[in-house]
Amino acid sequence: MERQEIIDGLIEILRTIRTVDQTKLVNVTEETDFLTDLTTPSTELINIAAKAEQKFGVEFEDDDIDELGSKVKDVVDLVLRAKERGKV
Amino acid sequence: MEDYFNIDNLVGFRPEHMLLHGPTKRLLDDFHWHDPQVGIVASYTPKASDVHDHFGVFRGVDQIEAFAQATIVSLGTFLECKKLNCTPLDMKDRFIPAFISVGGVSFHNYLLEGETFISIGKITFYKFRQMVCDGRIYKVPRDLDLKKYFSDFNKSRLDKYELSADFKLVADLSNITGRAIKREMFTTDN
Repeated sequence: MERQEIIDGLIEILRTIRTVDQTKLVNVTEETDFLTDLTTPSTELINIAAKAEQKFGVEFEDDDIDELGSKVKDVVDLVLRAKERGKV
Repeated sequence: MEDYFNIDNLVGFRPEHMLLHGPTKRLLDDFHWHDPQVGIVASYTPKASDVHDHFGVFRGVDQIEAFAQATIVSLGTFLECKKLNCTPLDMKDRFIPAFISVGGVSFHNYLLEGETFISIGKITFYKFRQMVCDGRIYKVPRDLDLKKYFSDFNKSRLDKYELSADFKLVADLSNITGRAIKREMFTTDN
């Protein structure tokens, strides 16, 4: 799975979340910060992670979420790590 | 500690063994109904120290704290302990229960010293050690035997807040959110 494919999937997830400012979902890049750029409430990050699990068919560990950063690239990295782990 | 590994729910379990902070901050006396995947009913009776310097009234902010202790903290700790096969005391060394967010609260009535109330909470989300609950606080009719009253309680009644008319609604709470955070995250420079 390519990184851009995951970003596109994340944008689809963000379009379903009421508390995310939908007008800011243009030009989302790996450096986009959920909290500061998209004004996503911090409590919503867990919800985004839960939806990402379903969308990308992966399973995150609780500890993964403890260490999760707030940028798009952090979630992309997490999805790829979980995919890799799932192959073992 | 009571035999934590053999219990299926928190009814009859002592709150001081579930909430690990000291007694002066505990706003929970008893668990009356508990379905681990669904929700909980627990009670507290404000003491003189709880209403001291506050017009003899139990503070709204303490109502929120009491609700959180009864719901997100107790429910979350129970599920996490079952998952990790450990006791709440073991959890204390690894995690700190953190209050993350209060979505909304509306107060409809007040509580005085000695007036028992129940927190009745429903789990709306639980994942990655984060729990969200909605629910209500009701003032309990005087001298009601809560253990007996809730002995045949169930999910259907919880969903409808189906209680007898002499329970008085005190507060409505939504999106009360808490998370068990790894202890080391509190001791870093973040």
